[in-house]
Amino acid sequence: MPVIQVANLNKTFRSKQKTAGLRGSLRALVRPRYNTIGAVRDLSFEMDAGELLGFIGPNGAGKSTTIKILTGILYPTSGEANVLGFVPWKQRRQLAYRIGTVFGQRPQLWYHLPAMDTFTLFGKIYELDDGEVKRRIGLLAEAFEIQDLLETPVRKLSLGQRMRCEVAASLIHKPKLLLLDEPSIGLDVVGKQLLRDTIRNMSQAEGVGVLLTSHDAGDLEALCSRVIIINHGQVVYQDKVSNLKRNYLTRKEVGVRYAAQVPPGFCVDGAEVVKAGQYGVKLHFDTRRTPVDAIMSRIAEQGSVVDITISDPSLEEVISRIYARVEAGSSHDAADKSSRRGR
Amino acid sequence: MKQLRKYWAIFVVQLLNSLAYPAELLWRSLAILLFMLVFTFLWRATYGSNQSMAGLTLNDTIWYLMLAETIELSRPRFARTIAEAVKDGSVAYLLNKPYDFILYQLAASGGDSVFRILLNALLGGTLVWALVGPPPGLPGWLLAFAAMLGAWLINFCLTALIGLLAFVTEDVAPFEWIYQKMIFILGGMLIPIDFYPEWLQDLARALPFSHLMYGPAKLFVRPEWGAFLELLAWQAAWVALLGGTLAISYQLGIRRLAINGG
Repeated sequence: MPVIQVANLNKTFRSKQKTAGLRGSLRALVRPRYNTIGAVRDLSFEMDAGELLGFIGPNGAGKSTTIKILTGILYPTSGEANVLGFVPWKQRRQLAYRIGTVFGQRPQLWYHLPAMDTFTLFGKIYELDDGEVKRRIGLLAEAFEIQDLLETPVRKLSLGQRMRCEVAASLIHKPKLLLLDEPSIGLDVVGKQLLRDTIRNMSQAEGVGVLLTSHDAGDLEALCSRVIIINHGQVVYQDKVSNLKRNYLTRKEVGVRYAAQVPPGFCVDGAEVVKAGQYGVKLHFDTRRTPVDAIMSRIAEQGSVVDITISDPSLEEVISRIYARVEAGSSHDAADKSSRRGR
Repeated sequence: MKQLRKYWAIFVVQLLNSLAYPAELLWRSLAILLFMLVFTFLWRATYGSNQSMAGLTLNDTIWYLMLAETIELSRPRFARTIAEAVKDGSVAYLLNKPYDFILYQLAASGGDSVFRILLNALLGGTLVWALVGPPPGLPGWLLAFAAMLGAWLINFCLTALIGLLAFVTEDVAPFEWIYQKMIFILGGMLIPIDFYPEWLQDLARALPFSHLMYGPAKLFVRPEWGAFLELLAWQAAWVALLGGTLAISYQLGIRRLAINGG
């Protein structure tokens, strides 16, 4: 049975419009004009128990709004949602006992106090027995490698340490579902990796479903089994991550620095030269057509390599390609599109 | 029982949190010294050679003002915090746990007030003792502190209501300002309302502000059972009325909640 069912969900916000200057202000005062923004538009999806689902899209795509509706802290304009058998906005408190939430940009730990104090407080808020809370904190502290951090005031922790404490805190009451809104935002590579590993391990060990929003493609690759890409409040793509990778994350960018000057007319078979400098070149290639090892050896044949970097396309790039494909195949009318760009 | 434990725990955590920066807490409490010094000189000049005015001696008036200042300087000012949270949508992040938002605020601001009240009373009391002589006896302290609980609750309800006005108006600062002036004048913070003409006294007593300021402060210097019970009845009535309004306003407001971002 799915843990999340969303059908035709809509959320529109009304914002006051005001033209510049005193006249504009006066006019807005007398006759306010409102602009309606569709943050979530006709969204439908399902999520199974224990699933790791990535919810991605650029800023303003409607990810956080959806999460807020699913936690029950925001009323939708229309549509239906069912989370663990509850209608979130009608049964917010019953639902709150069964889900864990982390909003990456809104810390829930008491800033000036050690994380331990917040953990204990959450135990009381979720109405757990003291002994149970103690055992649970011990287990989580080990899993998230935060044993030595629990007695330090949160303000003195690094961002990575703090996020591990944040996620651990959201698991105090053994929730069946974890809703993580941008948990990896601002973390360095090591911090992200550590957090992803721990979340995945905890999810597997306790059968917790994880719905995670992010605009980092790395989060998806490392953590999620399925992905939903949304843009302008609508699902533009949903599939297994393995399929997404096969179809879209095949384009790589390679930066190479040679010991000697790059000869004019430099080229590598199977790759496209995007930029060529005196010593460095930038190449693009598609892993479906040319395997990575082939490209590497061809690059090495051209001269002595001092430095090399390989990177994935940015998520924005992937999304815009997916979106371009959706756009080309759909029957959105022109006016609709221009109104969205207007935002 | 578990419900009660929950809010008690929030109270305690906020109490600990308020001690995170003891120097800042102390520094802020120094304001009462300045106010009491100014008040003492003003009222000394006002009394001149009079032994008593409006039934109060100079000593009574200054100790009255010390308690009034303690209430004023310690009362939680979270209206703008609520207003900001409502406006930028961060109130949502306070709603993702199984507790009642209003009771959460109540417990948290309670925890925030304790040390401020104690420090203000301690510092202000020490100075006033040095300036005008010993404080009222034990009954005064006991009745006043009991009445301060009701006073605190009335202030909580009014402040939270002002904060929730952010659901309808963009800025709540003007309402906060008006509220503060009401406390100053009709609450009896600047002048004990015994000094007012009869009609103004009646008006002040009919409004909630005097029950959160004049009531406890007067009991401090004139501890009387009759007055105490009457004050408790007034406070209970106002807390019931304002608390009910608050609960309804919150329910109405939360439905209109529109959160920015996403």
